[in-house]
Amino acid sequence: MTLTRPHARAIVAAAIVLLTFDLLVFAAGESPWIALSRGLAGSLGTAYGVGQVLYKATSLAIAGAAFSVAYRAGLFNVGLEGQLSLAALASGVVGARLGWAPWWLALPLAVAAAVAVGGAWAAIAAWLRVAFGAHEVITTILLNRLADALIPLALAHGLGDGGVRTGDVAHAATIPRLSTLTHALAGSAASLAVVLAVLTPALLDRWERRSIAGRELGLVGPSPDACRAAGVPVARRLFAALTLSGALAGLTACGVVLGYKGHYELGMTAGTGFAGIAVGLLGRGRPLGLLAAALLVGALQQAGLVLNASVPKEATDVLFGVVILAVAIAGRREEAR
Amino acid sequence: MRIDARRLTKRYGGLVALDDVSVELAPGKITAVLGENGAGKSTLLKLLGGLEPATSGEVVLDGRARERWTLADARDAGVFVVHQHFSLVPSFTGLQNLMLGDEPVGPLGALRPRPLRDRAERTMREAGLGVDLGARVSAMSLGERQRLEILRVLVRGATTLLFDEPTATQTRGEASRLYAMMRRLADGGATVTVVTHHLDEVVAHADAVVVLRRGRRAFAGGVRDKTIDELARLALGDAPSAVTPPPLDHDAPIALELDALRGRRVDVPSLRVRRGEIVGVAGVDGNGQDELVELISGLSTALGGRVLLDGASLDGLDVAARRAAGLGTVFADRHRFGVVMGATVHDNLMLGELGGDEAARARARLLASGASPARPELPIEAFSGGNQQKIVLARALDRRLVALVVAQPTRGIDAAAAADVRRRLARAATDGSAILLLSSDLDELRQLSHRLIVLHRGRVVAELAPDVDEAALGRAMLGASAA
Ligand SMILES: Nc1ncnc2c1ncn2[C@@H]1O[C@H](COP(=O)(O)OP(=O)(O)OP(=O)(O)O)[C@@H](O)[C@H]1O
Ligand SMILES: [Mg+2]
Repeated sequence: MTLTRPHARAIVAAAIVLLTFDLLVFAAGESPWIALSRGLAGSLGTAYGVGQVLYKATSLAIAGAAFSVAYRAGLFNVGLEGQLSLAALASGVVGARLGWAPWWLALPLAVAAAVAVGGAWAAIAAWLRVAFGAHEVITTILLNRLADALIPLALAHGLGDGGVRTGDVAHAATIPRLSTLTHALAGSAASLAVVLAVLTPALLDRWERRSIAGRELGLVGPSPDACRAAGVPVARRLFAALTLSGALAGLTACGVVLGYKGHYELGMTAGTGFAGIAVGLLGRGRPLGLLAAALLVGALQQAGLVLNASVPKEATDVLFGVVILAVAIAGRREEAR
Repeated sequence: MRIDARRLTKRYGGLVALDDVSVELAPGKITAVLGENGAGKSTLLKLLGGLEPATSGEVVLDGRARERWTLADARDAGVFVVHQHFSLVPSFTGLQNLMLGDEPVGPLGALRPRPLRDRAERTMREAGLGVDLGARVSAMSLGERQRLEILRVLVRGATTLLFDEPTATQTRGEASRLYAMMRRLADGGATVTVVTHHLDEVVAHADAVVVLRRGRRAFAGGVRDKTIDELARLALGDAPSAVTPPPLDHDAPIALELDALRGRRVDVPSLRVRRGEIVGVAGVDGNGQDELVELISGLSTALGGRVLLDGASLDGLDVAARRAAGLGTVFADRHRFGVVMGATVHDNLMLGELGGDEAARARARLLASGASPARPELPIEAFSGGNQQKIVLARALDRRLVALVVAQPTRGIDAAAAADVRRRLARAATDGSAILLLSSDLDELRQLSHRLIVLHRGRVVAELAPDVDEAALGRAMLGASAA
């Protein structure tokens, strides 16, 4: 099969997705047509559904940007999960202790805590990479496991309410829900963090194109040796890229803890980091690409939730995987032949 | 097999890389392809080898036009391109590289390297190729890697071999051995085509020659009655003149000094280069040249000893700091240490020096480099091999330096451009730079150097005058102690 033209590939990709969807739903004993309309209605058909998609896309877009910045430097940050969950814990813990502060102090402090902890956790892997050449895929996976073990311990010993969650974040430190602006979104989890989701990929892109450090990231990625030979501070750039990636993972956590739940609880961000990798790869690090990918994945996740009653979660997970593969195939550029 | 290109044209966007070119390559013959950088030589080979589709025109095999000509078709027909840039896996052994992508397996799916090894050894004997199949590629010299690359296509049944600048990385002795091997293949019925910038090789070894100029065929015919000057005029429009070093001031201060410098594979007790002096470093490739350059540039750390620039030790300074102190470096391995593939020509010109008045500086460098097309926004892949090399040189040569360490500066660039680079090196010496010139082109070393040193197994085994006779130089390079 020689699918050279982009259009032909896109059509084939769409056909594969639809076919898989039909088969899966059919196997679950549902009518594909009804499932499709219900999935669409539940994700994009109601204001609440749209709000939920926006909420999910917010996290996904920032996490996708987090993945992208490391990927640009040739680093594969599998550690978004751990960086995200520790950062979420940090924003919950700090946020819960900010009852005394006015909002213009409380919110930045809670956000800063998340960003700092996410960045610091990633900086461990970055340091291991730069100082000892330890591969970041290995170290970030290990750090994910370590974070999984540390968090319950921390919650149980002083940082939490003794159980599986932190105390409630002070109201001053929360990010306002979108539902406070318009009644249509009542009950949905989307918050003003949506602004961050739009700004982060755009600002990051600007930085990567305009600043010296940002541009050098894109050169260090494909050819670290040539960069080293030309006097580019390769180790510093790699360290910065992975640390920044972790810091952005921390920012992702803010949308969840400060924008929605108002506290941290165990397992709350599970899966967001991995989905962020998919978004980052699909979006190819471009701002609009990241937003589009985040909306796509967010809509799929929401539709999956809606269908959960009649179609098992595993089936929607399979569909999710197929969609990502299909988009990757359709978007493959000529040069990647 | 006889393979013809019939009216082949290749366009990249608006740029015509190959323009209506027809050539006939006969079995039993060695055909040389000549032309300046960017003339379309590599493009012609890629089209013939099925690596890229032609925009128009066709490939004709034994008189039969093939409308479909993909990589797989070419392989089935025994047509293989041996690249300028090798595609070997460094951490694999020679044998593992031979198997890669074509693994011989037994009935139960187990790897059976035995028959392949036997076949490879037979092929090596027949073609006169020496490769240690058990050694890792990373430990092989460039010459040995080259032979392994050739062996790989031979065991896969190559009968038409298209070599893209196989001798660019080799000394003349190695090149002669390579041509002897090609001759044996041709005598056995193979069709051999060789791209080269070395006109003397064409006169000495080829039967026929094709000259490309700006994508068009400028000449095709026999080589028997041609002189080097005639070929130069055909390929370049003019025979380039030799360059001489500027007169040496023996009292000039020492600008570059190596003091008991020691790495894992080199050990240089003492070397002093004066301002305005060009010291040539001769040696068979793989005798410590690469590490020497890495140690001086600061890319790798010395086990002992010092590098001094204008009398000041560079100890503890990294690459950027050494550059700021007035040291310029050009590494031999252009693909690894020279260019960033995937980046633009502009970014490659300014690598390590981003910021400030970039656009103007990049434009000036591109202009001075003589590389074409003069479009800094293009990706570096759109530049021919020789033009990429010019970009790398432009980075080092555009400012006044205390010392310049250049390895293989003219590798892969055409004779006219090479003369131009040598003139720029001579001018840098006139302006007061100390130059350490490492090259496998002995003519270049003898032409340009005030004196020669010879590296063998990482040690300086001889110091010679540049007009030393070639036999003595050759002996020294093989490790015979100084005459
Ligand atoms: N992928 C590409 N995209 C755009 N232009 C290209 C591409 N590949 C080659 N070219 C252009 O085609 C022309 C011919 O290139 P080619 O590599 O065939 O030159 P060459 O004769 O092999 O030169 P050299 O001696 O430097 O190796 C050059 O002008 C080059 O810039
Ligand atoms: Mg070429």
